Amino acid sequence: MSGLTQLIRKDLRHHRRHFILASIGIVVGIAAFAFFLALGSGVRSVVLGEIFPLDKLEVIPRSTDVDLGPLRVGMGKDTLNDEAAKKLGEIEHVTGVYPKMKLTVPSIAAGGKELFGNAMRTEMVADGIDPKLVAEDIDSKYAFAYFDDREATKACKTDADCGETMLYCGDPLPAHAMTADGATAGEDEPAAEVADAPKGKVCRHYVPVIASNHLVEIYNGTIRRAHSLPKLNPNFVLGLKFDLRVGASMVRASKRKKVITERGRLVGFSDRAISLGLTLPLGYVSRYNVLFDDPNAAKTFHSIIVDVDAKDNVAGVAKGVEDAGFDVADSGAEQAAMLIAVFMMVFGFVSIVIVGIAAINIMHVFFMLIYERQREIGIMRAVGASRANIRTIILGEAAVVGALAGVVGVGLSMLAAYGFDLVSAKYIPDFPYKPDTYFEFSPLLLATSVGFAIGFCVLGAVLPARRAAKLDPAVVLTGQ
Amino acid sequence: MIRLSGVHKTYRTGQTSLEVLKGVDLEIGDGEFVSIIGRSGSGKTTLLNIIGGLDSDYTGKVEVEGRKLSEMSDRDLSRYRNRHIGFVFQSFHLLGHMTCLENVILPSLFNGGDGGLSEKQAQDRGLELLAQMDLADKAHARPIHLSGGQKQRIAIARALLHKPELLICDEPTGNLDRDSGDAILKLFSQLNERDGITLIIVTHDDIIAEAAARVVRIVEGNVVEDRRSEPNKNVDTSTSQREESA
Ligand SMILES: Nc1ncnc2c1ncn2[C@@H]1O[C@H](COP(=O)(O)OP(=O)(O)OP(=O)(O)O)[C@@H](O)[C@H]1O
Ligand SMILES: [Mg+2]
Repeated sequence: MSGLTQLIRKDLRHHRRHFILASIGIVVGIAAFAFFLALGSGVRSVVLGEIFPLDKLEVIPRSTDVDLGPLRVGMGKDTLNDEAAKKLGEIEHVTGVYPKMKLTVPSIAAGGKELFGNAMRTEMVADGIDPKLVAEDIDSKYAFAYFDDREATKACKTDADCGETMLYCGDPLPAHAMTADGATAGEDEPAAEVADAPKGKVCRHYVPVIASNHLVEIYNGTIRRAHSLPKLNPNFVLGLKFDLRVGASMVRASKRKKVITERGRLVGFSDRAISLGLTLPLGYVSRYNVLFDDPNAAKTFHSIIVDVDAKDNVAGVAKGVEDAGFDVADSGAEQAAMLIAVFMMVFGFVSIVIVGIAAINIMHVFFMLIYERQREIGIMRAVGASRANIRTIILGEAAVVGALAGVVGVGLSMLAAYGFDLVSAKYIPDFPYKPDTYFEFSPLLLATSVGFAIGFCVLGAVLPARRAAKLDPAVVLTGQ
Repeated sequence: MIRLSGVHKTYRTGQTSLEVLKGVDLEIGDGEFVSIIGRSGSGKTTLLNIIGGLDSDYTGKVEVEGRKLSEMSDRDLSRYRNRHIGFVFQSFHLLGHMTCLENVILPSLFNGGDGGLSEKQAQDRGLELLAQMDLADKAHARPIHLSGGQKQRIAIARALLHKPELLICDEPTGNLDRDSGDAILKLFSQLNERDGITLIIVTHDDIIAEAAARVVRIVEGNVVEDRRSEPNKNVDTSTSQREESA
């Protein structure tokens, strides 16, 4: 075997020009293949890893609308309650069940002067979630939990008197925030504040709030530039304090209720927080909803997040959810995954076609070389090479050419990817989820690319190798 | 011992077919020096190719050391060429992209690892043969820089690498001048007498034919003459031997 290896080496060196020419197509094809697949899987891991994490499902009540073509008849909804949560928890492969509730009370968040230069006010969209769901995303300095401040009595003059990071010195909760039926007077915001005139400050808990990484991404990628505001670094924003006016609205006056003013504090970022809005511990949202809206609100959830043990089991769990009588909210992940898969398939296919055509080119070159080397092959046969030896030599040469072409192709694609990332970092303005690299060259991809290159080269050389093995040494050596 | 009986060979090209060997019977003993002569186109090369296992497309029986060549697999036949036969051609057939030494040790690359020469042994044997051929200084030269006589000596060295029992030479001096031809002839005689190698040489060269102990003449695919003559020795024994073998 080592003898044949030596021969292959010598032949490759001798015919290197031919082989280099022959392998250009393979190099290009493999470069394209590796490039597009790396791009696809890089984008995929951003999209499915960060934008639409796939290891959880959001369960929503089944909409029992009967679809009669243009006529949609609403038939009401099943509610999500503790019983539903329990049922969902029993589905196989579900590792956690976390109820989620929307804040149905119009509210305003205001503050951020230290960040933006001006105090900002914004209508607040908020969700309440089970704090356990995000426990690992909360900085140890802070706490994300429901604090019942109805009993807060410790008197204070400044925040320092209260000591803890989650405490501030503020007004006690107003009377109307104490009970569910609260105030019924239809006062406006200012009136409410007057009504709740301070009786002396006490140590209060900040309402802990988390935001999603999406929010930061979207802010940094778009909003910031439109309004020429500073770029936010999540670590820098952490701990931000602001006012939370529950029951207040910028667009319409709160219906009948009085406003409750609280201090909020940003205590973490999580992929499980809602994308556009703030996420609070479930207890707060439940209390506000009950106070302002509906006494039954405490028992019904808007959705339930279901954790799945592995991505591969998501589909099975989704089916279990539907069997249990609920629906799975469409996160867009499926479409995104499908889109990326199609992208990868199309470009992968195009690249393989290039490689395939290149293999035909390889075949031509090998046929030509074998014609040129007939005498050489005849000599080898005369001194003892068997047909199998000749075949091995030709296929071995093809394999080496393929391996080299594959390595060069992969190298080129990595170089191109590097260049692309460089250009992106330098010239493409930030956009949400703009990654440092768009590419993911997994060892599997590298091995597959080189494997394809070898495979196609060898495939291209099969017929030429057969012809070479069949050459009649008597004929080629005596030149008849 | 090589024994051919009733060997027929027909070349077919398209519609036409040409019967080149028409029932050749021939026996060549170990250590013989046989020259085969005959007109151009009479079938001499064809016969050599069959004996050397380069051509398996014939009818009749060819036996070497009691084994029928036609019953051997390609692998065995290749091994037979590799270990037991050396070929020398009129046009040398050296590989231009290899050095002289690499050409000489080429057969060692195909010995399939079983009982053949190791890389080192092949190198040593190659250098030894080159020295024997007075070409030690050309070991790392390319054949293209050599004269015809030198090239043929490289080719002979290659043929001798595995110490074959049989050397098959097809007009080995056909492309050489008189002096080079004589040197080659001397080499052949030496190989035959000193090392006992069986020699079958196709030649148009009378001097070679005369040097051979036995001359086989082929006319149109038939052996028409099989003459033994020991130039400076006894003629009678060779004649009687001829009758035995006929
Ligand atoms: N591969 C082949 N296909 C067809 N015909 C062939 C082939 N090889 C040889 N022949 C024919 O067979 C006949 C014998 O050829 P061969 O080479 O054996 O003759 P030769 O005696 O060696 O001649 P020379 O002295 O010219 O070398 C010739 O007529 C030749 O044309
Ligand atoms: Mg001939």
